[in-house]
Amino acid sequence: MSVIDWSVLVLTLVGIMAYGLIRSRGSQSMDDYLLAGRSLPWYHVGLSVMATQASAVTFLSAPGQGFTDGMRFVQFYFGLPLAMVVLSVTFVPIFHKLKIYTAYEFLESRFDVRVRTLTSGLFLLQRGLSTGLSIYAPSIILSTILGWNIYWTNLLMGGMVLIYTVTGGTKAISYTHLQQMAVVTFAMALAGYLTVKMLPESVSFVDALHVAGKAGRMNLIDLKFDPSSRYNLWSGLIGGFFLQLSYFGTDQSQVGRYLTGQSIGQSRLGLLMNGLLKVPMQFLILLVGVLVFVFYQYNPSPTFFNKQETDKLKKSQYAGAYQLAEIKHQNLTTQRQRAVTDMEVALHADNEAGQDAAAIILRETDDALKLVKTDVTKLIQKNNPSADTNDVNYVFLRFVLDYLPHGLIGLLIAVIFSASMGSIASAYNSLASTTVVDIYKRLIKSDSDDAHYLNISRWATVGWGAFCIVVAQFANRLGSMIEAVNILGSLFYGVILGVFVVAFYVKSIGGRATFWAAIISEVLVIVSWYLDLTAFLWLNAIGCLLVVGIAWILQRIIPR
Amino acid sequence: MPENPTDLPPFARTWTQLYAIVIGSLVAEILFFYGLMHWLS
Repeated sequence: MSVIDWSVLVLTLVGIMAYGLIRSRGSQSMDDYLLAGRSLPWYHVGLSVMATQASAVTFLSAPGQGFTDGMRFVQFYFGLPLAMVVLSVTFVPIFHKLKIYTAYEFLESRFDVRVRTLTSGLFLLQRGLSTGLSIYAPSIILSTILGWNIYWTNLLMGGMVLIYTVTGGTKAISYTHLQQMAVVTFAMALAGYLTVKMLPESVSFVDALHVAGKAGRMNLIDLKFDPSSRYNLWSGLIGGFFLQLSYFGTDQSQVGRYLTGQSIGQSRLGLLMNGLLKVPMQFLILLVGVLVFVFYQYNPSPTFFNKQETDKLKKSQYAGAYQLAEIKHQNLTTQRQRAVTDMEVALHADNEAGQDAAAIILRETDDALKLVKTDVTKLIQKNNPSADTNDVNYVFLRFVLDYLPHGLIGLLIAVIFSASMGSIASAYNSLASTTVVDIYKRLIKSDSDDAHYLNISRWATVGWGAFCIVVAQFANRLGSMIEAVNILGSLFYGVILGVFVVAFYVKSIGGRATFWAAIISEVLVIVSWYLDLTAFLWLNAIGCLLVVGIAWILQRIIPR
Repeated sequence: MPENPTDLPPFARTWTQLYAIVIGSLVAEILFFYGLMHWLS
């Protein structure tokens, strides 16, 4: 990175933090600190909800996914608008009317303290661990590609957020979310525009889309119902609906965002804004990745985008095997360049037979290149068993560093930090509010004044921040556990949603039946995952339906 | 917290209308994506 990049990065991040701190001065009560005095307008709520959901990996791996796998990942978000409508109709009015701080408070008024404590405990465990990984995931990518020390990157990433979260509370988080979303949108739009500009002059934006389509990257909709396929229309609409409903309805890091709305209507509008914008936003982010794919059809691409690992390979005993793979890769990219030029000529001449012939070569070359990459990945794993071989995360960053102008590189690194800070800040805040409201105030000390709870909230934020940074520091030693912890976290969502669905919609079921149904369902969901009975996304729906079904049966068996 | 009807945007007269707009937009996006995929394949 050049001096210009560093200046842009530092100025952007300091500017965002300073703005958040200045705009949040005067938080004097727990209501102010945890829920911004329930005073924010809809666009604050909407952007805050979006910034919380969009993590750094969203902006790193989504373009990489577009590059590798095409646009089909967009289907994952189809359930989101439906979930926003259900939340607006059901959850938002109830949460607002009860004037609660956390979603779990509602469970005590509906069931009992046991159900509230169980769900808030599950949330704290899952969110605490996953926030540590939210710090670690972008840090490892930045550290690997820029040569930074991972421990300092973790500390910087988690520590900067802590400063404004502890000092300014929810208001600071919300104001920084506005700036973060502005920076992210501007930088990603600019990156997309420059990618198109860097294509050969004879290739227009529409030509680029045609090339992507012929190469199988515009695979936006898959109508086939296949429970084992992760991304198709049905898994996106049904599985995605349950996932998003669980996330936005029961995860305090999101509930805490829309409880800041100044009225039921403003909270609803914020969620519906998310419902309207999320799918187009993901479409555009994936499209940037697809455009990067088209760019590499005309230009030589790296065999493996994580250059640090291939550099290590060149100096290892596997250097010879790697060199052979590189030669194969170069031959294939030359073949690909010829095919894409033929495709362009056929497109301009409206020659369908020529387009189809070139498309066949493009797809065959693409498959052959993937095989070469698999071979290189195996070599990297042999050479360094702890290497990060998930190359999807490195595609976009490598492209940015190799081809985009100085200044924009700094801005895009700032995007990664901003997106990461946005979701981490909401997580710290939700961990603190759940600890104080559902555990400390409810079970430990219930008779103190507001100043005391405000003070405890600040300390809880510091404590959770430190915990998450420590988890991030140890994450690289967990190896395959990272995936396990991520899965473990998501396994809870369906069950927690089931508890809320019973609470909202099945009034005849009481706390005792729900408590035991949640425990039994959790065990069954974990067994289903362990036996690999279905694709990951469906576990949310299964967990939810199990809780409702088992609670209904138990209610009829267990005496009140 | 009050449920204020003036919270509604000018293009919707009721919340039900606004929900229909959100769901309708999703349907339109899916159809657009389907059409785009076929046009470009």
